[in-house]
Amino acid sequence: MKAQAFHTVNILTGTKSGTIIKDVDQCAELIKKAKRPLLVIGGKVLDEKGLTKPLGEYAIDMADAVDMPICATAHSIKGLIEMGWMPESTLDFVEILNFLKKSDWMGVGKEGNHDLVIFMGIRSDLLERGLSTLKHYAPHLKTISLCNEVMPNADYSLPNWTKGKKWNGFLGGLIEALNDQTGQA
Amino acid sequence: MNKTKQKRIEKIINASDEWEPVGPTPMPDISTLRGWQMRLLKTYKPFYAPSCDLCCRCTFGKCDLTGNKKGACGIDLSTQQSREFLISCCQGTAAHTAHAIHLLDYLIDKYGEDHKIDLSKEVEIEAPIMRTVMGLKPETIGDLRKGLTYVEGQLCHLVSSTHTGQEGGNLDYEAKAMHAGIMDMLGMEICDIAQISTLNMPTSNEDTALVDIGWRSADITKPVIICIGHAVAPSKEILDYMTANGLYDDIEVGGICCTAIDNTRLSDSARVIGPLSKQLSYIRTGVADLIVTDEQCIRCDVPEEAEKTGTALIATSDKVSYGLEDVTDRGSDEIVDMIVNEKRQVLILDPVKVGEVATRVAQKLAPMRKKEFIEECNVQGMAKACKRCGSCDKVCANLLPVGEAVYAAANDNLELLRGLSRACVGCGKCAQECPEGIPVLNLIQAVASTETFKMRSGRGAAHEIDIRRIGKALGIGSGSEGRLEIGSGAGRLPGVIAFVGCSNLPEADDIADMALEFAERKFLVLLTGCAAMGAAMKRDADGKNIYEKFPAEFGPSGVINIGSCVSNSHIVGVAVKVAQLFAKKPLRGNFEVIADYILHRIPAVGVAWGAYSQKATSIASGANAFGIPVILGPQGAKYRRLLLSDGEEGDYPVRDFRSDKVVEMGGPYPDHLITLVETKERAMVTIAKQCLRNNDTGPLRPLRLFHYIDLHKKYMGSLPDDIHVHVRSVSEIPLVYKREVMEVLEKKGWKPRETVPTPTWIGTYPSKASLS
Repeated sequence: MKAQAFHTVNILTGTKSGTIIKDVDQCAELIKKAKRPLLVIGGKVLDEKGLTKPLGEYAIDMADAVDMPICATAHSIKGLIEMGWMPESTLDFVEILNFLKKSDWMGVGKEGNHDLVIFMGIRSDLLERGLSTLKHYAPHLKTISLCNEVMPNADYSLPNWTKGKKWNGFLGGLIEALNDQTGQA
Repeated sequence: MNKTKQKRIEKIINASDEWEPVGPTPMPDISTLRGWQMRLLKTYKPFYAPSCDLCCRCTFGKCDLTGNKKGACGIDLSTQQSREFLISCCQGTAAHTAHAIHLLDYLIDKYGEDHKIDLSKEVEIEAPIMRTVMGLKPETIGDLRKGLTYVEGQLCHLVSSTHTGQEGGNLDYEAKAMHAGIMDMLGMEICDIAQISTLNMPTSNEDTALVDIGWRSADITKPVIICIGHAVAPSKEILDYMTANGLYDDIEVGGICCTAIDNTRLSDSARVIGPLSKQLSYIRTGVADLIVTDEQCIRCDVPEEAEKTGTALIATSDKVSYGLEDVTDRGSDEIVDMIVNEKRQVLILDPVKVGEVATRVAQKLAPMRKKEFIEECNVQGMAKACKRCGSCDKVCANLLPVGEAVYAAANDNLELLRGLSRACVGCGKCAQECPEGIPVLNLIQAVASTETFKMRSGRGAAHEIDIRRIGKALGIGSGSEGRLEIGSGAGRLPGVIAFVGCSNLPEADDIADMALEFAERKFLVLLTGCAAMGAAMKRDADGKNIYEKFPAEFGPSGVINIGSCVSNSHIVGVAVKVAQLFAKKPLRGNFEVIADYILHRIPAVGVAWGAYSQKATSIASGANAFGIPVILGPQGAKYRRLLLSDGEEGDYPVRDFRSDKVVEMGGPYPDHLITLVETKERAMVTIAKQCLRNNDTGPLRPLRLFHYIDLHKKYMGSLPDDIHVHVRSVSEIPLVYKREVMEVLEKKGWKPRETVPTPTWIGTYPSKASLS
C-alpha cells in the first residue's frame, strides 16, 4: 500500500517511502527480532483521544513485554511516572534523534546504538521531520511509527487509522503478541 | 585586507573619530568572522531534518539526494539543507533591510539626512549593533544609510554563494547563515532607531501606553481602516492626515501584525486587531471599509478576499503590488473616485498620498456599507451541510480536529468550535477544501471570543540605567574583569527570556502561560511582534493579563513589549550593552569579543514559539551569531536545521580570562544554540536550563538550578536526570532540594568540578580578536 500521509503538511517529497504495516504478528516479529529496540514517546501520549486507555499505558505494556527502554520526550515522563513507570531516558525529541543518527552512539542502555526505534504519541508534523532525519542519516537502524497517521518517512508505518477503533485493536493485539512471543522465546 | 578596501572602510566608519579604537573586524565580509562561526559550529553541530529529499534548483535535476547522496552538481543533502537555510536567512534579512531602505528614504525626505539620532538623553550607546559590527557611531539618520549600503553588499555575496556551482560545504553555508543573521540585526536596528528618532515613538520609556488588542477592539460604527504588514510610513501618514483634519476621533485605525504594534507607538488610540493569524478571518468579516497593505506577512490573496466583502484595498509597497495599477502620479480626487465609485483596487507608492486617499475613502465608503458579524445563532445552520468527510482535518496547518468541531456545531454543540478558535492559525485551508462549501473559517470566527485586552505599547531601546540594573542583578562582573558583584536578594535575576516571532502557535495560550511562569519566577520577560500580542490575550483569575500584572521595568519580574519585528535588534542590543558597560569591552569592530562574552556570560534565551516566516530564521541566526541561544516550537522543525551540542568530550575547551589556562568544561553552556521542543511544558524546563552559563557563581548558580529543578518537578514530575552534570559543587545545590539532589549525586558517583569564573573562547581558535 502506498504510504500516503494523513496531514498534507507531511506529504512525501522524495523517492523513498516506507511500508504500511497493519499485521500485528509482522510488527511483533520486527520488534522481537531487534537486538536493541527503543521506544520513543512524545507529548501526545498524555492526551491522545479515541483509545480505551491512555496511549502511555500501551507504551508501558509494550516496553514491559519485551524489556525495551523508553525515551520519554517532551513532558511525557510526567504521565509515565503517574502510571508507575520510570523511563530510561528523558532526552528530548531532537536530542535522541541527534544521538540515534550516529552509528557509534552507545544507546540508552550504553550497550550499543539501537537497531529499531518505535515512535508513539508525537505531533505528526514534528515526527515526520524527525523521521526524515533518520531516513537520510541513520541507515544503521529501522523505524516504526505506531502513530495513527501515516508517516511516509518511517520504514514501517501504521495506516491512517484516525477513528481509533482499529488503532486500539492493533495496539492491544501487538502487546498480546509481544507477550506471547516473549513467553515462547 | 587589501589597502584600497581598508581605506574605504576607514572612510565609511570615520576611523579617525576617536570614540574607541577600531577593533579587528570593522565591516566584516562574509568570511571575516568565519573563525568565530566555525568555533560555534564545532560545539553546536548542524542537525538536519530535510523537508524535501530533492534539489530542484537547476536544469541538471531534479536530483534525488536521499540518504545524503550527491546531485548532478556534486551537492549532497546536508549541503543542500544548509543552502536552503541560508536562502531563508537571506530572504529574512532582505525583508527587514528593504523595509529599512524604504523607511529611511521616506524619513530622510521628510526630516533631512542631518536629522540627529535621538533615543532620549538616557541612551548613550545609540546603535550597539552598528558600533559592534561596523565600527560606526552614527550621529544622523543620514549616517544610517551607510549601514544599509553595507548590508546590501553583503547580501549580494551571500545570495551569490547559493548559486549552482558555488559553495560546497554545509558548515560554510551555516557560517554564512550566521553572517546573514548579523546583517539582519543591523538592518533591523537601523530601521527602528530611524523611526524612533523621527516619529516620536517611545524610547526607553517604562510607562508606555496600555493599548487595546482584540479583533473586536475597533468601533465598527465608525469608518474602519485596517493596516496590514510591517512598514509604518503609510499608517503614519494616515494618522497625521486624520489629526490635521480634525478626524482623529471619527475614524478607527486598526492594524494586523507588526504595523499594528508600530501604530500604537505612534498613537495610543490605534487598535491592534491581532497577530498575523487573524488576517484572513478579519478580512472575511468585511467590517473593514478599507485595507491598506504595506509589506511582509501579508496574505497573497488579500485583493480577492477584500473584493468578496466589498472592502476597498490600497497596496502601498513595490514588493506587494498584486498586479494592481500604479496610480501614484494621479490626483487624490481621481484616486478616491476610482476606489469609491469604480470599485478599483490600487497601488499607491507615496505614503503621503496614501494618508489622504485612505482617510477620504474610508469616510465615503463607510456609510455605504452594511457591516455585521455572523451571529453565533447562525453557526449551526451553516454547519448543517457537514458530511464528516474529514477533508478539513487533513489540510489544517495546525493539525486541529476541524471536522469533529464543525459536525458538533451542526448538532448544536459549539464548544469544540470555540476551543478550535483559540488554536486556529487562520490559514483558511479548511474552507477551501470543504466539498460542501461550508465557510469553516467564518464559523470559527463567529464563535471566537470577542474580548478586548490591553497590551503595552513597544518601548524601543533600553537605556544605560536599565542595563546597569539588569547587569548587576544578573551577577555580571562590574568594573575590572573577574570582579563579581552579585545583585542583592530580591534584585537577583535568574535570566532574561525573550518571546519573539510570529503566531503559528501550537496552542493560543502558550506564550501567555510561559511568560507568566517566568515573570512570577522573577525572570525578565521581553516580548516583540506577534508574540507580544499573543501574550496579552489571556487573563488570570483576577482579570489581569501579564501586561497589567507586572511592571514594564528592566529587572526581576519585568514584562516589557520591546516593539515590532525590527525591535528584536534591541534585545541583542541589551546584551551588547551589558558587555560594554560591565566588562568594559570596546564595541567598535570587535564582534567576536562581544559575542563570546554574551555566549559565556549572559543568561539570555530567545523563544520563537510560533515562528512561521523566513524572517524568523534570520533573526534567530543573528541571535545565535551574537551568542544567544534560541528555542523553537514544534513547527520550527520545518526550518529543517538546528544547531545542537552532543556533549562529546573535547568539544568545549574554554580559556579562563584571568589565569589564561585552557580548561575542558563539562558543558557546554548553553547546551544547544538553536533547538526545538514539542510541548509548552517541556519548553518551560528547556528555557530554564538554557539560562545556565559557565560563569554562574555566587548565589546565581543555585538560583538558576533551583528554577531548572523546580520547573522539572512541576512539569515533568521528577528531578532532572542530568542534574549531576550541572552541579559543580555542593554549595550550588538549592537548599530546598539538597537532600534529593545529594541522593542522586551519590548514586551517580558525582565529584566536584572546577568552575571557570571568566570563561572565553578567544584564544582557543584562530582569531584576530584581542586576548586582553
